[in-house]
This record gives sequence, C-alpha cells and structure tokens, in this order.
Amino acid sequence: MAREATYRFDVFTSIASVLVRVYLLRMVWLALYARNAAPSDLPLHAIITYSTVALLMGLVMDIDQTRALHDKLHDGSIATDFMKPISVPLYFFADGTGEVLFHAALIVPSLLFALLIVHIDVPSLPVMGVFLVSFFLGYLVGFFINFLLNCIAFWTLEIQAMQLIVTWVTDLFGGEIIPLVIFPVFLQRIAFLLPFASMFSTPLLIYVGVIKPERYLQVLGVQLLWVTVLAVIASFVWRAGAKRIVVQGG
Amino acid sequence: MMSVYRQYWRINILTTLEYRENFLIWLGFTLVYHGSAIAALWIVLTRFPSMNGWTFRDMAFLYGLWMLAHALHNTLFSTVGDIPDHIRDGEFDRLLVRPLDTLFQAIATPGQVFPDELILGLITFAAATWYSHVQVDALFIVFIPLIVIGGALIDLAFNLVISTVAFWFVRVDALRWIVIQLEQEFTRYPVSIYSQGVRLLLTFVVPFAFMNYFPASFFLHKAHEASALPPAVGLLTPAIGIIAVAAAYLFWRLGLNRYSGVGH
Repeated sequence: MAREATYRFDVFTSIASVLVRVYLLRMVWLALYARNAAPSDLPLHAIITYSTVALLMGLVMDIDQTRALHDKLHDGSIATDFMKPISVPLYFFADGTGEVLFHAALIVPSLLFALLIVHIDVPSLPVMGVFLVSFFLGYLVGFFINFLLNCIAFWTLEIQAMQLIVTWVTDLFGGEIIPLVIFPVFLQRIAFLLPFASMFSTPLLIYVGVIKPERYLQVLGVQLLWVTVLAVIASFVWRAGAKRIVVQGG
Repeated sequence: MMSVYRQYWRINILTTLEYRENFLIWLGFTLVYHGSAIAALWIVLTRFPSMNGWTFRDMAFLYGLWMLAHALHNTLFSTVGDIPDHIRDGEFDRLLVRPLDTLFQAIATPGQVFPDELILGLITFAAATWYSHVQVDALFIVFIPLIVIGGALIDLAFNLVISTVAFWFVRVDALRWIVIQLEQEFTRYPVSIYSQGVRLLLTFVVPFAFMNYFPASFFLHKAHEASALPPAVGLLTPAIGIIAVAAAYLFWRLGLNRYSGVGH
C-alpha cells in the first residue's frame, strides 16, 4: 500500500516538475528574446520547443537505469549473480528497462499538459523519424555513461556524489536546457567534442531544424561512434571489475 | 529525475556522517552544483545580455544573496530536516517526554554544525557584491546581514513545514528536494519575468522573492516594472522571515499535537 502511494507520488512529481520547468523556461526565453537580438536560426518558438522537448526527453534520459549494479555491489548479492548462466550485463540492462519504459510512458501525459502551457513546433514526419533515431542513439550513449559510472562501484562504493556531478556537467554540456549553439564559440567547440552532446543536443537540433538533412548522416554517425566507443570501454571496465569480484570472493 | 532526488539525500547523510573523509567530494559536489548554475547563467547572458533590465552582474548578486541565506539556513537549521527520520525511527518520541520545547531540542542537536557551506556562501557573496558593483553604503552594511538572516528564516519556515508534513506522510525526502530545486531555480531569475499569478505566489504565499529578488532590486536600483510595491519592500525581508517562521511554527504545533495525541 505504501509502495503504491510512493508510486503515485513519483508519477505526480515527475510530471509536475517537468511542467513547472516548461513554464519557467518559457518565461526565461520570453524575457530574454524581448530585449535582445534573436539568433537567426533559433527564433523564440524554436527555442521554447527545444527546451520543452528537452525536458520531456529528460524523463527518460535522467534515470539511473543501471542502479541495480551498484545496489548489488553494495549488498554483495552480485556474487551469486555471477554464478548464473545468463550474461550478467544483459541482466542489468533488462532490470532498468522497466523503469525506462514507465518513464517513457510518462512523456505522453507530460506532453499533453505541457501543450497547455506552451506551443511547440512539430517537424515533418521524416524529420521526426530521424529525430527518434537520434534520440534512441543518444539514449544509448547515456546508458553506457550511466553503466560506467555504476561500474566504478566495483572499486569504490562512494559513487553517488560523482554521479550527480556528472549529471550536472552532462546536462550543461549536453545542451539539455541551453542549446549548444547559444554557447560562446570556444565552449561550443569543447561541447561538441564530448559525448554528452550526442545525448541531447544532436536529437534536439535535428528536431528544431538547426541541423539540416544534408548533415544527418554525419551527426548520426558521430552518435553511433560514441555508442560504439563507450560500449567497448564498458565491456573492458566490466571485465576488469568482474575479475576483481571473483578474485576477492564477492 | 526521481533517482537523482534519492541520491541527493543519500549524499546529504553520507557527508554529515563521514564528514572528514568526504570533504573533498562534498566540496566538489557543491562547487559543481552552484558552479553549473552560474555557468549556465553566464552562458545565456553572454548571448542575451539583458533579462528584463538585469545583466549578468546583477544576476550574480541575486544568486549570491540567495546562496548566502540558504547556506546560513543549512548551517544552523539543517537538523530540522532530520526530524522526519527521527519520527520514522522512533527517536523523536524521546524529545516529546523531555521538558524542553520539542522543536528547540531538534534544532539544538549537537555536532551538526559545519561552517563550510557558510564560508563558501560568504566568499561567493563577497565576490558577487564586488563583481556587481552594488553600492556598499551604510544602508547595505546594516540591512544585508538582517536580510540574510531573514532569508535563512524563510528557508527555515519551509524546512519546518516539510518536516511537519512527515507527521502525516512519513517520506518527505522527495518533497524537500523538489522545494529546494524549485527555490533555487525560481530565485535565479528576476521575479518580474514571471506571469502575475506566479509573481503573487512568490511574494505573498511562498515568499522566495523576499530571499533575494526584492532586496537585490532595492540595492541595485532596479525599477519594479511589474510590481505595484515600492522598492523599499526589499528591506522587509527580516520581518517576512519572522512571520513565515511563526506561521510554520503554528503548523508544526498542529502536527505535533495530532502526533502526540494531545488536543483534538
């Protein structure tokens, strides 16, 4: 019964915090665009769309989906998992997927309520399709970063602070709330070199049309590259961590 | 963002318990938290220099003032935030049977006062004051400490209200984190950018606007375009703080009486 109440509360607060931020950012951009020159490729309606869609994406992207790994390392139950025949990384992937799907479902009511507060642009169907592909790739980038962070628990259990720090850096340099194209040029250059940009900025810039069709293959390629690189690193880290557990005896 | 909320409170407990070993982590954590907020402000205001007539320098002062009041509250009154935990683990009942006022006991719990956040808040505020070129005259020197205390009291009022809610709904961590997040996000910008309903809310119902916006408007000589209130209302923060705490205390007594079975 208490679990149900917490569940409902979680749903309510997740949606409510998205809506409050949708409102907040709308007022911020309105105020900023009222007295300053607008960027030519990002008019007011586009930037409000950007921020709103970013917040909706955040429902899915901000989840600690491989948290189970850290929890199991914390209480030692991971030792028994290693004795099971199924591939352990896949086990953690599946464990977090339920939560992700649940939050993905939250996007629908959040979007409907958000439309009461703001107007967002809707791109053409092909662009929307490319956006969804890009969103998925960005999600995978975020997944592996989350996985790597939780893997640090193999060596030290004090990961929560680091996770939060990475989340804030990711949100800023991923262009979650502030489009990277607004950044001063030198910061933009740094931001586009980091994997975080693949998480939010790339899909969002596709959505609002700042990234034009001729660049689709290039930017999706970059995302795919990051997914691959991070997946490879993740498998190395996993193997090193697993070895540590086996040697130490859990 | 829910998992982030849970983690934040795990860290809070971790850092107070294992303070010495985790100081660097706590420092990194706090620097990134405030640093990324200020960095985001800087990035946006570099591209859009004026927000309702406020520049980045103005907003730096706005943020610094909020941060200092919030830091003072965290240093002195964070134990009020521990009350829900005490209620849950039964420790709270011990306080009830003692002759001293229950809330006073909760606040006066020894060993919880770490000045680090306050020092960081003072440094940031000093830097923001210098950077914003705000006029540091006699009025400033007399009133700013009072305003900071008033701001800390406003924070205390909300801390107390949330802890009181624990008498009914034992788990209030997420609620607390949400309120702090909203407080930080809505006080980051001049309140004049919000629609009238929200402005009224932030002034008369949830008086966060008094923590930094009204005082900052006064000392930075900002015209109150969206408000019918005179600029000097920014000096009322200490009084608002006291009123807010008084109201929160009434609510606390209501919850306490219900909890201990006294009264209706």
